Amino acid sequence: MKIGGIDKRWVYLLVAIGALIPIIKPLGLPVLSTPAVEALFEKIESLEPGDVIMLSFDYGPSSAPELDPMAESILRHCFQRDISVVVVALFPLGGDNQAKIALNKIVPEFPVVEGEDYVYLGYKDGGLAVLRRMAEDISIVFPQDNRGIPLEDIPLMQRVQNYSDTELSVSLATGIMGEWWAILVNAQFGQPVAVGATAVSAPKYYAYLKAGQMLSLLGGLKGAAEYETLIGEHYPELKERSQIATRGMDVQSIVHLIIIGFIILGNIVYLISRSERTRAGGRLASK
Amino acid sequence: MIRLLLAVSIILAGSPAEAQTDTNHFNTDSTDVLLADSTITATLVLQLSEDSTRILLDWTLGDSINVILERAGNDSVFATIGSFDPTINSFTDSGVSPGDWYMYRLLNGDSMKDLGAGASVEVPFPIEESRFFRTERTNALLLFLFYAATIVGYISIAKRGAQLFIRKIAGLDAVDEAVGRATEMGRKVLYIPGIMSVDNIQTVASMSILGYVAGKTASYGTNLEVPNKDPLVLATAREVVKEAYLKAGRPDYYNDDMVNYVSYDQFAFTAAIQGLMTREKPATNFLIGSFYAESLIMAEAGNASGAIQVAGTAELAQLPFFVVACDYTLIGEELYAASAYLSREPLILGSIKGQDLAKAVLVGLIILGVILSTSGQQWFADFFIQR
Amino acid sequence: MRRQIAVLLCFLTGFFVVVAFFIEQDPIPDINEKLDELLVIVFAFALVLGVVSFLQHHSKKIRRRDKGWTSSVISISSLVIMALLGIFESSIRGTGIIGDRTTFDWLFNWVFTPLQATMFSLLAFMIASAAFRAFRIKNIEAAVLMVAAIIVMLGRVSIGQVIFPQSLAISEWIMNNPNLAAQRGILIGAALGAASMAIRVILGIERPYM
Repeated sequence: MKIGGIDKRWVYLLVAIGALIPIIKPLGLPVLSTPAVEALFEKIESLEPGDVIMLSFDYGPSSAPELDPMAESILRHCFQRDISVVVVALFPLGGDNQAKIALNKIVPEFPVVEGEDYVYLGYKDGGLAVLRRMAEDISIVFPQDNRGIPLEDIPLMQRVQNYSDTELSVSLATGIMGEWWAILVNAQFGQPVAVGATAVSAPKYYAYLKAGQMLSLLGGLKGAAEYETLIGEHYPELKERSQIATRGMDVQSIVHLIIIGFIILGNIVYLISRSERTRAGGRLASK
Repeated sequence: MIRLLLAVSIILAGSPAEAQTDTNHFNTDSTDVLLADSTITATLVLQLSEDSTRILLDWTLGDSINVILERAGNDSVFATIGSFDPTINSFTDSGVSPGDWYMYRLLNGDSMKDLGAGASVEVPFPIEESRFFRTERTNALLLFLFYAATIVGYISIAKRGAQLFIRKIAGLDAVDEAVGRATEMGRKVLYIPGIMSVDNIQTVASMSILGYVAGKTASYGTNLEVPNKDPLVLATAREVVKEAYLKAGRPDYYNDDMVNYVSYDQFAFTAAIQGLMTREKPATNFLIGSFYAESLIMAEAGNASGAIQVAGTAELAQLPFFVVACDYTLIGEELYAASAYLSREPLILGSIKGQDLAKAVLVGLIILGVILSTSGQQWFADFFIQR
Repeated sequence: MRRQIAVLLCFLTGFFVVVAFFIEQDPIPDINEKLDELLVIVFAFALVLGVVSFLQHHSKKIRRRDKGWTSSVISISSLVIMALLGIFESSIRGTGIIGDRTTFDWLFNWVFTPLQATMFSLLAFMIASAAFRAFRIKNIEAAVLMVAAIIVMLGRVSIGQVIFPQSLAISEWIMNNPNLAAQRGILIGAALGAASMAIRVILGIERPYM
C-alpha cells in the first residue's frame, strides 16, 4: 500500500481533511465565469416571458453533487424570468428521482403553477429512440405527465408539440447522453442544445462546443459555481439560495492544492532517489 | 420529389357556415354541418412542413375565446384534434398520412359553433409521400462507400495471399505473458468487458479479445472470471468463453459460474469488482471495453492488489486513467485492431490495412480542407457537415 | 446450420440498419425503430438470465463459505427485499416508513443514493494516489505533462485564479487547443476502427458473438 515510500492511507487522510475543512469553515473564494457557461446564461436572459425550454435530467445520484446545483440554478433562472420549463428524465437509474428532488426544492420558491409554468413529464427509457421521437411529437413518448394528466389537457403542452416549439434544450448528463443531444437533437433537428456534464466527462464535450453543436457547456462543479455566480450578480435576491456549488468550489480548491502538493512531493522524492542511485552507480563503477 | 405548399389563407368576416361544397375531395353535406358563429372573425392558415410530413396551422381571432380545432380526412368526418385557450394560436399536426387529403376547421370552444367557412381550410393536394432517399446524407453515403471499398479491396488482396504488415502493439503482445503470469502464480485472470451493452462496438471488440484470452486460459488451465454489468453481455460472453474452451479441447474446464452477472448499477458493479480484486487478488486484470467514471476506481484497485493490468478503451475521458494505472493500454483503434493482431487472420488484417488507407486519405482531405477554409473557400468543409 | 443462420441474421440486420440511415421510405423507418424496441425487449428477458446467474453465483459462495460469503448474504437479501418492495409497493402510496413515501423510495433515497455517492467520491482519493504515482519527471514529455496538469488543475478552481491569475486563460487554451486536437485525432482513429470492426461483423468475417 505504499507509493514512493509513503503509505497511500496518509495521502487519503490528507485529502479527507482537506475536503472537510472548507465545509466546516467556508473560505468564500471568488468564482470567475467562462464564455462556455455565460453562453447559456445569456441565452436564457434573451428569452421572453412565456418562452419554453426543455430540461432533461440525464443523470443519477452518483453525479448529483455536480449536476444538482446546475439544475437548481437553471430552474431558478427560468422561473425568475417567467420562462416555462418542460422537464423530462431519460436516465434509467435515478433520473426521475433527481428531477423530482430539484422540482420539489425550487418550485416552492416561486409563484409557479404546474401545468402552466412548468410540467414534469416523467421518465422514459429508450435513449436515442426517445430523442428522435420527441422531434416529431412529445406526446408519442409522453402521452401524459407525471401526474397522469393527458398532455392535451395541459395548457403548457398545448403549445409545445416538439422541439421546434421550444427555444432551447438543456441536458444535464452523465456518460454518453449529452453527446446524444448534441449529435442528434442539434445536428439533425437544429435545436439549440446546452449540456451540463460531470467534470470527468466535460473534456470530451469541448469538441462539440467548438463545432457549434452545443450552445454551452457547464463542466462539473465549477460550471455550476459559475452559473450560480452569474445568477447572484444579476439577481441579488437569489444569491443566498444559489451557493451550493460555490461552497463546493472551496473544497475542490483545497483538494486540488493537496494533489498538486503531492505531485511536487512525488517528484522531489523521485529526483532524490534517482540522484542517489546515480551516485551509488558512480561509486560502484569507480571501484 | 418534394413539393412545398404555399401558405393558404382565407379571410372571411362572419359569413354563415355553408355546407362545404365538394372541392373535389370533400362532401360534408350529410355528415357534419354546424351552426355558424358570425360574431367573431377568424383566420386559419395552413402550411406544409419542409419534409412534407406535417401540417402547420396558425390562426388569428377577432376575440379572446377558447377554440377547438377539428380535422377531417378522406372519410369527411370531423374529429377534434385539439382544444386551445386564447393564448395559443398555432398547432402542428403530425398525425397525417401520405396520399391523404385533409380539411381543418375552427370552432368556438364555448358555444361549439363553427367560426365560419373562412376558419376552415383544406389541403389543396395530398400530403407528399416521404422521400425515398435522404439527400442531405449524400456526403455520408459517399464516404461510407469509399471506406467500404477500401476495406473490401484490401480483404481481396489479403485473400490472394499478400503479406500484410501490422505494427507492434505492446498491450496485445503482453496478453500471453499476462495469462502465463497468472498460471505460474496459481491465481485467476479477471476479465472485465466494460459496462456498456452488446450493441456498443467496444463491447463487441472486447468479446473478440475475450475469445482469445479464454482460449489461452483453457490451454494453460488457468482460472478465468468474467463479471458482467449487462445481462446481454453476460449471455454473449458465456457463448464466447464456452466456445473458446471447446475449441481448446477443454470443455470440462468450463463452468457457467466463470461468467457471472453482478449488477446493472455502475457503482454497485464497481464496488463488487473492487472487492473481488482486493479479496481474491487476481494475478492479471483485463479491463477491455467501454468504461466511464468507474475506470479509475477499478484500475487503481487492481494496481493496489499487485496485478498486471491490460486495459483497452475508446472512451477518451477514461484513457488517461488507464494509462496512469495500468501496465498496458490499448488506445482507441488499437482495441478494434486487436482481433486482427492476435489472430493474424489475413481477412481481418486486410480490413486493418483498408482502414489505414482510408485514414491516410482522410488526413489528406483534412489538410486540403484547412487550406481551402483558410483561404475563404468554405464549400469543401460544408460538404462534410453531418445532417 | 445454426452458425450460418446466425451469420445471415447478423448480415441482414446490420445491412438493414445501414440502409435505414439513408432511406426514408415507409416502412423502413418504422422497422428501424422496432429494432431499437426489440433490443429493449430482449434486454428484459436477458435480465432474468442475469438475476439467475447472480443468485447461483452467490448461493454457491454461501454454501461453500468462500472468502467474503457474508457479502453474498447481503447481496441476495438486498436483491430480494428491493424486488419485493418494488413489485408489491408500487401501486400502494402512503404505506411507507416515512410520511407518504414507500419503503422502496426510502431505501433508494437513504441507502442506495448515499452508497452511490460514496463510491463516486472514491475517485477523489484514487486520483490523488494516481497523480502522486504517475506525474514523475522521467523525460521532457513527462515534464510538459506535469506542468500542463498543474496549470489546468489551478485553472479549474477558484483558488487557482488567486494564486496564478493567468491559469484560467492558459488552461482554457490547453483544453481548447492541444487537448482538443489530440482528442479529435484519437476520436477519428477510433471511429474508423469502430466502422471497420462493424463492417467485419456485418460481413461475417469476424464473429465475436459466437
